[in-house]
Amino acid sequence: MTQLAQSKAAVSIVQAAPPLFELRGISKEFPGVKALDDVSFSVWPGEVHMLLGENGAGKSSLMKVLCGAYRADSGSFHYNGETVEIASPADAQKLGIAVIFQEFSLVPYLDIAQNIFLGREPAGRVPGTIDRKKILADAKRVLDSIGFDIDPAIRIEKLGVAQQQMVEIAKAISQNARILVMDEPTAALSDRETELLFALIARLKADGVAIIYISHRMAEVFSLGDRITVLRDGRRIDEVKPGAVSSDDLVRMMVGRSVDMSYPRTFAQAPGKVMLEVKGLSSASGIAGIDLVVRQGEIVGLCGLVGSGRTEVVRAIFGADRATAGQILFDGQEKSGGPDEAARLGLALIPESRKAEGLALIRSVGDNLIVSALRKIFPRGFFDQGKSRQVANDLIRQLRIATPSDKQAVGLLSGGNQQKVVIGKWLAAGAKLFIFDEPTRGIDVGAKAEIFALIDRLVADGAAALMISSEQAEICHVCDRAYVMCDGRIAGELARHELSEENIVKLGMHHA
Amino acid sequence: MREQAMVLNTNPLQRIPGVAVMLVLLCVVFSLMTPGFLTVPNISNVLVQSTILLMLALPMTLIIMTEGLDLSMGAVLTLTSLIVAIVALATGSLLLGLLAAMAVGILFGTVNGWLVAVVGIPPFVATLGTLGMAQGLSLIVSDGQSVVGMPAAVRGVYSGTLGGVPLPIVLGLGSYLAFHGLLYHTRFGTYIFALGGNREALKFAGISARRLLILVYALGGAMVGLAGLLMTARMNSGHPTAGLGLEFDAIAAVAVGGTSFERGNGWLLGTLLGVVTVGVLRNGLNLLALPSSIQVASVGLLVIAALFVDGLRSRS
Amino acid sequence: MTDISKPITGGRMLFSDEMIQVFYRLLAAFLICAALTILTNSFFSLGNILNVLRQASLLFFIASGLTLVVLTGGLDLSIGANVAISACIAGTVIHQTGSPTLGVLTGIGVGGAVGMLNGVMVTALRIPSFIATYGMLWVLHGITYWYMGGETMHGFPAGFRQIGSGYFLGLPIPVYLLLVFLAIGTIFAQRTTWGQEIYAIGANPVAARLSGIPVARRLLLVYTVSGAMAGLASIIFLARLNSAEADIGESLTLPAIAAVLIGGTSLFGGLGTVFGTFVGALILTLVLNGMNLLSVNASWQPLVTGVIVILAVWLDMKTRRRAA
Repeated sequence: MTQLAQSKAAVSIVQAAPPLFELRGISKEFPGVKALDDVSFSVWPGEVHMLLGENGAGKSSLMKVLCGAYRADSGSFHYNGETVEIASPADAQKLGIAVIFQEFSLVPYLDIAQNIFLGREPAGRVPGTIDRKKILADAKRVLDSIGFDIDPAIRIEKLGVAQQQMVEIAKAISQNARILVMDEPTAALSDRETELLFALIARLKADGVAIIYISHRMAEVFSLGDRITVLRDGRRIDEVKPGAVSSDDLVRMMVGRSVDMSYPRTFAQAPGKVMLEVKGLSSASGIAGIDLVVRQGEIVGLCGLVGSGRTEVVRAIFGADRATAGQILFDGQEKSGGPDEAARLGLALIPESRKAEGLALIRSVGDNLIVSALRKIFPRGFFDQGKSRQVANDLIRQLRIATPSDKQAVGLLSGGNQQKVVIGKWLAAGAKLFIFDEPTRGIDVGAKAEIFALIDRLVADGAAALMISSEQAEICHVCDRAYVMCDGRIAGELARHELSEENIVKLGMHHA
Repeated sequence: MREQAMVLNTNPLQRIPGVAVMLVLLCVVFSLMTPGFLTVPNISNVLVQSTILLMLALPMTLIIMTEGLDLSMGAVLTLTSLIVAIVALATGSLLLGLLAAMAVGILFGTVNGWLVAVVGIPPFVATLGTLGMAQGLSLIVSDGQSVVGMPAAVRGVYSGTLGGVPLPIVLGLGSYLAFHGLLYHTRFGTYIFALGGNREALKFAGISARRLLILVYALGGAMVGLAGLLMTARMNSGHPTAGLGLEFDAIAAVAVGGTSFERGNGWLLGTLLGVVTVGVLRNGLNLLALPSSIQVASVGLLVIAALFVDGLRSRS
Repeated sequence: MTDISKPITGGRMLFSDEMIQVFYRLLAAFLICAALTILTNSFFSLGNILNVLRQASLLFFIASGLTLVVLTGGLDLSIGANVAISACIAGTVIHQTGSPTLGVLTGIGVGGAVGMLNGVMVTALRIPSFIATYGMLWVLHGITYWYMGGETMHGFPAGFRQIGSGYFLGLPIPVYLLLVFLAIGTIFAQRTTWGQEIYAIGANPVAARLSGIPVARRLLLVYTVSGAMAGLASIIFLARLNSAEADIGESLTLPAIAAVLIGGTSLFGGLGTVFGTFVGALILTLVLNGMNLLSVNASWQPLVTGVIVILAVWLDMKTRRRAA
């Protein structure tokens, strides 16, 4: 029996006792949105309780409530059967709750020991000073207890992501955490690092630590989870055991209806001329020797694990990063400049983080829609409000962007509509090749279908598309073909009939 | 298997070349260009004169580490040196003058800290505002005139010696050691790194970032009070506009010394070397009979160069 | 952070927000006028009102170019020193050649060159604008003082002096020049594609770049234009004061920044108008004028200006938080 299976068996025995920690009827409201609506939830010692939900389902609000960063509006918390309050991070700490967020809370220029004991430093002889020897010794002890052998005097800025995560866990353990909340812990880890993490989780389980684990990866959910809770729109939909459901069932619960997994792709066009040809492209951000081709009427996928270099490739193609070697030919013309040249030639980039890189949130929908098309709409350089609003409103209608008016601040729109604005901006500019970086991230399923329909229409009308996605299913359903990346290089190309989740994953894996 | 650090990038030790090289270079150039530079009295003079700047640059280092800036230091220095003069003159007591100056300095520091931490105004705007306030108060309090005729004890602070070492240098070294201990051996110092490096971490540790920020700026104010005493002692009078612009030299010293403006990484020894560098630069230009206006311009160029290099480093 | 999946109904109109902001400020200016009329006998006289207008115009000339820089999210602390060096060099040219036209061109040229240097530091050397211009401030200060050697230039041709002290149809000429500056600034910001790009850069420089805007070129343009406008302003100062010395614009940097911020231009970029800056200059001048008329010691002025700057930024932050 594997370690994990053993611990699962152990958990089912322990469940006879009252839960270690329980939430009952927790609600949290913000102006305009109910983040948590009457959520109830429990964990037993030594269990891994999976938390699933789409973006906006309430997972991050739940985490913030658990660690005391947010205060719940109503509902109650129970520890070992007794009612407790969590009004501040200190309360959560006292209960032994520790949350490990995706963005770590480590201070880069302090060392491991200082980070672990931040706020709880052992005092030196003079009041206010720190006992250096003791803090290092204590830190070493904690690190050893989780099997992480490293010198505690090393500064955080010198550690890799996986190592930093270990430090975060050590920090939690040093606070006598009995309940650990982990937010997508394997998102930035390599396979080997993921294995080590799972071994650590097994160890923690054996010690009786309860783990609330947020993940989007079905494989993990089923192999690691003892129980699964699904959230949707701030409400708890259901709690199930991994053996009793299939991943389709889970998706249905997360989404609220039977998801039509067939995306609206017409595959109407036979691919036309070559729009983009990349030869031997390399850049300082770690990609090398990239060759790829995109034709008119095609949607070409770009896959690979997180960190394989996909975003770096498209940034180099678009000119956002400088290329150190190679050639980029767009519609026959050589391209060597920055984003302004790219836009002028007809390239478009829809970035991964639309709020930070794709939109000016304080400006209006209209302003954002025309910003890349200024030279096209006003070739003489003189700007006219009336004309600008006209163009903007046309686009709003055409793309069915849900906004009270073109003057609405774009930051107030929903994720899906914001994405439409980003795409619309390039439509207005007359782009011929659209590069999408995770186009449906953070968008609810209804809007996702709309976005794909939009992309399909663009391509059917003669444009070309290059699409990065971490969801293999999307790639398989939507793309004509796909390149798979690994470690900054193209590992292979899959034609339409070869496109399957298995093949993508196989090509994208390390071959040590 | 023992884990190793994955990133082997620049650490302070690799920065020594930067500011130390500049310092050595300047010393070499100046000693070649004027005979009067590399003499014991001149070097001693440079060091003594640099202590006032050091007292501003030390807390400025901490403030810059919190991603802040204090542009009001020069104006507040003017004010505190006037306060020392006025109070010492009125009461005949050096000590009362010092206490009053430090009180005023701490008051301004606290206001700066409050504006930045509680009201949330960007530091350079907030301190630009308090600069104006301090400047105005200096004019009002002095009526535009110098203040003279203080007890001899005041002058003694600058010209006295302790065991053969000039008193100002003793005070300067003492301040440096105090700040070193503060930054690297106390909880307060640890939290300063967090303020610039990852403020969220403090929140989760239950530590009030607001209180820390106010303390940092107030500490700056206290040091400005102390520096005010030194300045009055040096001039043997209080002057309504002396000290204006010194914050610029302080920022220059910190920048040249390698403390970065955006990442919560501070190096006190670098600041010390930076202070001496600025002092040497001014001294050398002085000996070459170049007017103070050129000196100011040169320090300006020095800052720009230092920031450019810092920018290059953070991008590599 | 949770992504809010549903649009918030009852949205706010950002554009009319900006016009409302300007309106409130005009109202404030009006209220100050009313208050001063009640509190003093000397406020509401033709002479004093013209004086206020003239002072506000002078301040506005410097602050108008600065507005463009602040719109991109930057700051130019060297503006006052730029006026000084431009005035001194232009003054020399007028003295040597007797030609006011040459002097004007020199002023604009020097100012623009300084602006361009600032722009280069910010774009090519990637130094944060407030510190680059702070360094430039001291460099210019040093050069100007060295150049003037502690002396003052006097005696400019009478025709030239009309620019600063002459009248046309009963109004001081600077008031007409005010309209010119207002026109230049407003047309640039609201009526050209460059202006739209400036607003976009201020609102989100990363997104602006990725939208195909040549950010570095535009920033260079803005700093150069701002510098040139300061250079032009220095000519007006020269004409008005009929003298040039090294500290001409020194005391005007803080009030110029204050005027921009009071006028509703956001320190963080992307919001604001040149007209707003004029109203800001007006409000500041009215407050200082009021202080004078109420016999408050002039030494209080920098203090009051400092407090007003802080209040303006606080208001800016509150407004911004509402919009996004």
